[in-house]
Amino acid sequence: MDMKRDYYEDVKHFSSGVMLFWFAALIIFLLLYPFLFKNYYVYVANYIAINIIVVVGLNLLVGYTGQISLGHAGFFAIGAYGTISLMTLANFPFFPALICAGLIAACFGFLLGLPALRLEGPYLAIATLGFGLTITTIIGRINILGGRQGLHAPDLIIMGHHLNTDRQFYYLVVAIAVLLVFFARNITKTKVGRAFVAIRDAHIAAETMGVNLVLYKTMAFALSAFYAGVAGGLFAFVLRFIEPELFGFFLSVFFLTMAVAGGLGTIAGPIAGAILLSFLDLELRNILNIPYVGDWLKALSTSYFSLTGVSNIQFIVFGAILIAIMLFEPLGLYGLWIRMKKYWMTWPF
Amino acid sequence: MKNALFAVLFGAVVVFGMFSQGYCEIGVTDTEIHIGQWGPQSGPAASWGAVARGTDAYFKWINATGGIHGRKLVHHYFDDGYNPARTIAGVKQLQEQRGMFAWVGGVGTAPGLAVKEYLMQKKIPWIGPAAGSWHWVTPPHKYLFNVYPLYLGDAQLLVEYAVKKMGKKSIAVVYQEDDYGEQGLAGTKHMLEKYNMKLAAAVPVAMGDSDMRPHAMRLSRSNADAVLLFISPVAASRIIGIGKAMNYAPQWMSSSTCGDCPLMIEITQGLYEGVITSSFGMLETGEKVGDLQHINDPKHKLVAEYKKEVYGKFAARDERWGYTFVVGIGLAEPLVEAIKRAGRDLTREKLVEELEKMENFRGVLGGITYGPFDPNDPLTRIGQQELFLHQCTADGGSRILTDWIDTEYIPMGK
Amino acid sequence: MIDFIQMVISGIAVGSSYALMALGMVLIYKASEVPNFVQGEMALLPVFIAYMMIYSYGYSVFIAFFGALFFAMVLGCFLEFAVVRRAKNPNILGLIIVTIGLEMILLGLVSWKFGADQRIMPFPISSYASIMIGDLYISTMDLVTLFVALAIMIVLFLFFRFSKFGVAMKATQQNPTAARLMGIRTNRVKMVTWGISATVGTVSGLLLAPVIMEPYMMWNPMLKGFAGAVVGGMTSLPGAVFGAYIVGVVEHLFGGYVSMDFKAVVAFAVIVIVLCVKPSGLFARHYVKKV
Repeated sequence: MDMKRDYYEDVKHFSSGVMLFWFAALIIFLLLYPFLFKNYYVYVANYIAINIIVVVGLNLLVGYTGQISLGHAGFFAIGAYGTISLMTLANFPFFPALICAGLIAACFGFLLGLPALRLEGPYLAIATLGFGLTITTIIGRINILGGRQGLHAPDLIIMGHHLNTDRQFYYLVVAIAVLLVFFARNITKTKVGRAFVAIRDAHIAAETMGVNLVLYKTMAFALSAFYAGVAGGLFAFVLRFIEPELFGFFLSVFFLTMAVAGGLGTIAGPIAGAILLSFLDLELRNILNIPYVGDWLKALSTSYFSLTGVSNIQFIVFGAILIAIMLFEPLGLYGLWIRMKKYWMTWPF
Repeated sequence: MKNALFAVLFGAVVVFGMFSQGYCEIGVTDTEIHIGQWGPQSGPAASWGAVARGTDAYFKWINATGGIHGRKLVHHYFDDGYNPARTIAGVKQLQEQRGMFAWVGGVGTAPGLAVKEYLMQKKIPWIGPAAGSWHWVTPPHKYLFNVYPLYLGDAQLLVEYAVKKMGKKSIAVVYQEDDYGEQGLAGTKHMLEKYNMKLAAAVPVAMGDSDMRPHAMRLSRSNADAVLLFISPVAASRIIGIGKAMNYAPQWMSSSTCGDCPLMIEITQGLYEGVITSSFGMLETGEKVGDLQHINDPKHKLVAEYKKEVYGKFAARDERWGYTFVVGIGLAEPLVEAIKRAGRDLTREKLVEELEKMENFRGVLGGITYGPFDPNDPLTRIGQQELFLHQCTADGGSRILTDWIDTEYIPMGK
Repeated sequence: MIDFIQMVISGIAVGSSYALMALGMVLIYKASEVPNFVQGEMALLPVFIAYMMIYSYGYSVFIAFFGALFFAMVLGCFLEFAVVRRAKNPNILGLIIVTIGLEMILLGLVSWKFGADQRIMPFPISSYASIMIGDLYISTMDLVTLFVALAIMIVLFLFFRFSKFGVAMKATQQNPTAARLMGIRTNRVKMVTWGISATVGTVSGLLLAPVIMEPYMMWNPMLKGFAGAVVGGMTSLPGAVFGAYIVGVVEHLFGGYVSMDFKAVVAFAVIVIVLCVKPSGLFARHYVKKV
């Protein structure tokens, strides 16, 4: 919002003391969260944090570099399967397994980036879609990885501590999420981030100015794949059992929806999108339990629709929220925030 | 500091809670027993949502006829859309906020496995997962009581009938690419080995794929004279239809999943006539069974009663009386029976004890047997192992071909 | 050899339903510049409306089908008018999300009203009748779908070439500003394009319904149709149709000769290879954006 006068101001982490205060408050809130809320909400927070990691990474690709990916569920799957396999078959400890799985996902991201050099728009969408499908089909065929029977996650032991409650897992996931979000934010402020944005806005001009398209496009894919892989590894421990069917096309679409509805091209946007849409994903099934609304819906179902299919209202609500966000503010939730800020700051004009 | 304060408050609440109503088991009060279930009420697997609704109608009927020892069964079922992350969310929310006494049913291998560890760690009984997966009994858990017969049993029965009774010489299998289909494939191979035969063809079907033309073509080229189907009803109707279009007519046989004769006859517009399927529970009441020898079987009377009382009075108007609905009732019957036998003084340990004493309990499904828990013996938690075969007739009824046959447990070795 | 011909025939048969979906997607892509994810559900709702007309109101099959087509036209126009047009400063990703939202709403509506069980759509021709030529077979429904698809393609071709409105549509797609300067009401043109696309999709759905009818039935044809449209070039109608047939045939050839598992995967792999060679699809001209 404010104009940056020099490079150092742009790169500075906290533009003023106020921002530092809010950031500290956020960190304290995150630390105290498991004690303020019940265990179920800690589980929800874990799920949201994992989605934040994926969506921030996806946003680096879609928002900052202007590509499109409908195959991120494939990288998610590679991360999940990679972490578990390295831990059970090669006896890696947790963190090396997680990082290696992320790096393997990044390699596949790089491979996917190669055809992306020539494609854009719907063509790239189909290519990434095909890639996501290929990954899950191939994983389903490999018997060491459990094949279609799926794979159980081993016990999570980090430096002697056995993590098996939601609260312990929460600290792990949130720490990794904060780290990765920070890392993403820093990337956007460096030469790499500027190269991404240049590719998105005018890739021919960027190439003329010396931005190496091959390097940066594949790097964008690899980086977002790394994020998805790390998140996938963590997800495997949340679910404790994974099978190829979990990582299908609908999951990729869900990731993309979170990124776009949150706000592309920013760091805070995808976080907001991930929080809102993951929360809805887990909580919309309770829509029938809301005091008056639930009964009214059931009555409506019995007279006009079918009572057996009443849970499908979740789809309707979710879709309606998506449309409302996108129509009202094409820049997503972050755009709504900016609009509110602007209104507040420039009132009464 | 905040931690300590919180701990004191929490302790005070617990102590108050304990004294305010006398110590009862979690999920059990003087007047209510809380039972939870998950199921796909929406999403691609939504046709299996009828299981939870079947249990719901059954519980409502029990409450209407007086409850169990003065307590009513409160059934909490939620929609997880076959998404394990949502299953975990729902189970944790219900368990931590309301507190469930036990869990019943629960459709799906992946959703079930996502919550299995959580439930077992907390020693919460879980009866009758609605999927015949070997994951429930390998390794067996003290608090997990399987009811749904493993799909391996379906394969055993079908192959044996095809080879011994019908004299088929070449058998092919069409299997879905998941745990269910893989079990069918493994079971078929195992049985064929016993008869020194080889599979004519093993045709995999991708999940959600409804274009069965290449599959049917491969089957017809293999010239199998009996084909075992371990796929979904949609895919089964397609493949039989294409087979007819290709003039390829082997003896079609299917697992219990496609054994809902009224539904299958309807969606195949009559082509399903003559298909032999395995089954682990009665669906049809007396009138539709062509072979009258079982007409006085008490099970027929029970099914007829359920259809009139449970389905007729407590099911939603647009609910279909079908296989999945009856499974919902059947999976809950052992739980209800064990609660009855445990008496007024109901705890989880007593429930487990009563279940373990169960021997050949017959409700609307087959004989269910458990035993004292042995971590090395899956049979102590396997529940029902017997199945029977029936054949669909043109009017949507079924002709029963065999009596209840016991199947053996084949370890999958994974 | 017989097997090969049989597989090609089956591939063409399944390619026809993909082709109709591909046509719909390309029409909308040319008009609104967005890959339309609601294509499948725009066809699904009218199909279920036809079902309702036949069973709850007792209309005959023909009247119900025409009713469905009419409803599809109205539905497509309505969606464009009420939702897509309201997007301010649309960027392609935002519009994709809007179409995904619409898709969820329509799917939720159909599942809510009709439940998840499979249904039967009555149709004069049995879905199991077939024509056998020696060892080869083609089911009658497939043949009907093929003819209908070709007929629609011809009708659309003539429409675009020779009718005033068709030419107006082409003009709007090529250069909306110039079209408006020439007096063409571009908003109305876009609305009607969506309506036509929905109708074409509904034809595909109606021909698919006698065989398989449940709320998730249109997902697979939509995805494969999308893939086919991409292969053929999102800006070329004959290309989309050709691409859809290629997807169907490749799928079946691979499924028959090599492996059933990787059927769909190989179709996508072939698409990626084709796209690497011709980045905008087989039949479209590759426009390089100026700086």
